[in-house]
Amino acid sequence: MSATGARETILNLFRQASAGYVSGARLSEVLGVSRTAVWKQIEQLRQLGYRIEAIPSRGYRLCDVPDLPLAEELRSGLATRRIGREIRYLAETDSTNRQAYALGEAGADEGLVVIADRQSAGKGRMGRTWASPPGVNLYVSILLRPPLPPQAAPQLTFISTLAVSRAIAAVSGLAPTHKWPNDVLIDGRKVAGLLNELSAESDRIRFVVLGIGVNLNMTAEQFPADLRMPATSLLLAGGRPVPRALFARTLLEELDALYAEFLLHGPAPLLAAWEERCDLVGKPVEVDEGGSGLVRGTVSGIDRDGALLLTLADGSTARILAGDVRQC
Amino acid sequence: MDVKDLKTLIKMVTETDITEFEMENADEKIVIKRGPTGQIIQMAAPAAMAAPMAMPVMSTGGAAPLAAATPVPVVDDKYETINSPIVGTFYRKPSPEAPTFVEAGSVVEKGQTVCLVEAMKLFNEIEADFKCRIVEILKNDAEPVEFGEPLFKVERL
Repeated sequence: MSATGARETILNLFRQASAGYVSGARLSEVLGVSRTAVWKQIEQLRQLGYRIEAIPSRGYRLCDVPDLPLAEELRSGLATRRIGREIRYLAETDSTNRQAYALGEAGADEGLVVIADRQSAGKGRMGRTWASPPGVNLYVSILLRPPLPPQAAPQLTFISTLAVSRAIAAVSGLAPTHKWPNDVLIDGRKVAGLLNELSAESDRIRFVVLGIGVNLNMTAEQFPADLRMPATSLLLAGGRPVPRALFARTLLEELDALYAEFLLHGPAPLLAAWEERCDLVGKPVEVDEGGSGLVRGTVSGIDRDGALLLTLADGSTARILAGDVRQC
Repeated sequence: MDVKDLKTLIKMVTETDITEFEMENADEKIVIKRGPTGQIIQMAAPAAMAAPMAMPVMSTGGAAPLAAATPVPVVDDKYETINSPIVGTFYRKPSPEAPTFVEAGSVVEKGQTVCLVEAMKLFNEIEADFKCRIVEILKNDAEPVEFGEPLFKVERL
C-alpha cells in the first residue's frame, strides 16, 4: 500500500469512528503493518496539519483537519466517474498546468488531477503569471483525453467556466456571472482564472489540460497591486471562508458531470447554460481583437462553436473568436 | 468550384442549422452532410474533366470531420506546410517579450514547438511533425488563422 493509500485508510477509519477513538491495534490490523509503522503514518498526517490525539489505553482520535486540498481529502466521498481517478497533491510547484501537461505527454490517463497549495509560476495568458499564494486558494489542473478532433477543444473552455461558476454558487451561495469567453466574475470582479492547453495531432486531440485557479480565501492585502482587472475572492465577496477541499471536490464533480454531458450530447446544452450566466447579452461592448483592431456592437449571444456574436451598427453580425471584451 | 469558394460554402452551411446540403450543376455535384459526429463533405467531378482541374473527392468520418475544409496547400515537390489544427489567433512567441519560436531559415526537430495558436483561452503549441527547415512564415504574429490553414512552408530534412 502506498503512503498516500495508507494515510487515506487511516483517515477513513477515523471518519467511520466519527469523533471517537480508533485503537492502534485496529489500525495495524486493517493496514497490515506493525504498530510502529502505524505511528509513523500518524506522525506524517500530523506533519500535513491533521491534529490527532493519542491516548495510550484508547488509541488515536482525529481532532482537526487542515484546510489543505490534499488528495486524501479530495477523494473522500468524491462522486465522479472520470475526473479524479488519480489525484496528485503538491505542496508547492511551478505550475499545475505545466505538471499536468508533462504527465499527459508521459501518457497519464484521462481524469488525472494535479492540485497544489502554492504555485511559484502560476500560468496566465501571454506569459503572465497568476498570483498563487499558499494556504488560501485553489490551483488545479485536470487532464482530459476527449476522443474528438482538435477543433472541438476550445469548447472545453466553456465547460470549465461553467463548472467553476456552478461550484461557486453551490459552495458559497454567491451568483457569479460569465464574461466571454472564460472569465468568472462576482459583482464585476474577477474571481477565477482559466487557461487550457491542447496537445493535438492534425486530426485528433492527444490531451487537453484544463487549468483552473479560483480565489477562495485570499484577503485584500494578498492581491498583487498591478492587476489588469478588478479581482475578488469568495471570502471578500461572501464574507466567510470556504473550505478548500470541499470546494475542490464540488468543482471536480461539476466538471465530471458537464464533461460527461458534453461527450454524450455535444456542446449545445452547455453553451446555452453558459449563456444564461452571461450578463453581457443585449449590452453594448467593444472588443479589442489585438492585431486586427476594435469592434463595437451589441452582444447577441454565442454560436455553436462558442464564438461571440455581435450585432453591429449596420445590422450585420460579427463573429468574434478572440479578444478582450469590454462593456461600454 | 475552387477550394476557396468551397471553403466559404462549408463555412456558410456550418453556421446554420442545415444538416444536409446538395448542389449540382453540369460540371460538379457537392454534398455536405453533418451529423452529431461531424461533417461529411463529398465532391464528385465528372471523369471528363481535365486532370489538373479535377476536384478532390473527400469523405471523412468522425475523426477529422472538417478535413475537407482544409485549403489544399500549393506545394511543389520540395516543400510541405505546417497547418493550424484549430481556428484561432496565431502567435510566433510564447509571450510578448519572449523571443520567437522560429524564424525563416530555422531548422527544427520533430516535436519542437514552432508557434502557438489560441482559441477561447485554449492554447495549442504547434509542433513540427518531422525535422525540417522553415522556408517561409505564412502568417503575421497575432493574426487570425482558419482551421487547416498553412502557417509555415517547410522543407523536410
